[in-house]
Amino acid sequence: MLALAPLIAAALLVLAAVALRAGQERQRRHLLGRVVGRDVDGPAILFFSGEACTICHTAQRPALERLAPELDGRVAVREIDVAVEPSLAQRFKVMSLPTTVVLDGDGRARAVNAGFAPAPVLQRQLVEAGLL
Amino acid sequence: MGTVPFDRSVLKVNQVILMAGLIAGYAASFARPVASVALPVFALMMLHGAAVPPQSLPRVLYLRVLKPRGLVSPRVVVEDPAPHRFAQLVGGIFLAAGSLLALAGLYTAAWTLGWIVVALAFLNFAFDICVGCIMYAQLVRIGLLPLRRTAA
Repeated sequence: MLALAPLIAAALLVLAAVALRAGQERQRRHLLGRVVGRDVDGPAILFFSGEACTICHTAQRPALERLAPELDGRVAVREIDVAVEPSLAQRFKVMSLPTTVVLDGDGRARAVNAGFAPAPVLQRQLVEAGLL
Repeated sequence: MGTVPFDRSVLKVNQVILMAGLIAGYAASFARPVASVALPVFALMMLHGAAVPPQSLPRVLYLRVLKPRGLVSPRVVVEDPAPHRFAQLVGGIFLAAGSLLALAGLYTAAWTLGWIVVALAFLNFAFDICVGCIMYAQLVRIGLLPLRRTAA
């Protein structure tokens, strides 16, 4: 039985990952199409990050910086540290970092990405939302 | 606690010691169940490191032996060490729970917790994915942990 310990641990971690993924999908479905960012001026990408979130700094932020020239000032990018602004993270039901939310001019969530979202994916979401 | 210069190499040393020690303890426990003593030993190391970071064994080893001899290079970043300390606390609690299970003779359950800690340490070591830090951010978000920083 002792030999099964690593396998049981792996199975528990897989279950936890599946549960997290299901929670992220619920978050996405909950937000999509709702007006959740009425206080955000104009179309925007909200980028939820945290200091200890390495992928936020090494992948998501550079991806948003690569996307910036395409935005041409029409869509703002706002980075939100969930530890500094927990109420905003709460309102958007952020479950993992990074999370990016594409908001249209009315503050309606048009796309929600839990986990790293590459620049082409964000660009496509902005085009589909008619924001680019 | 705010953002301060913080050497991530201390964390890497901690993770290597933890993974190597726990895997060795697990392997040895097949022959001698007493080798499960690795669980409380590393639980103490983690809990002590979380409570008194300047005196943590991996930190002392890194600063006095590994760094001066050039065996491990410093990797200084400016960030809040609180999430990492919380992650260490969570790892220590898992290992302490594993120790109690081992004490009760439930070795499979005990080492299942040990392997979860090994897996999470590996994720952090290899990919810089700190699950404990993510938990910390979520607990701050839902208000269960106090907000320690202010907006810049």
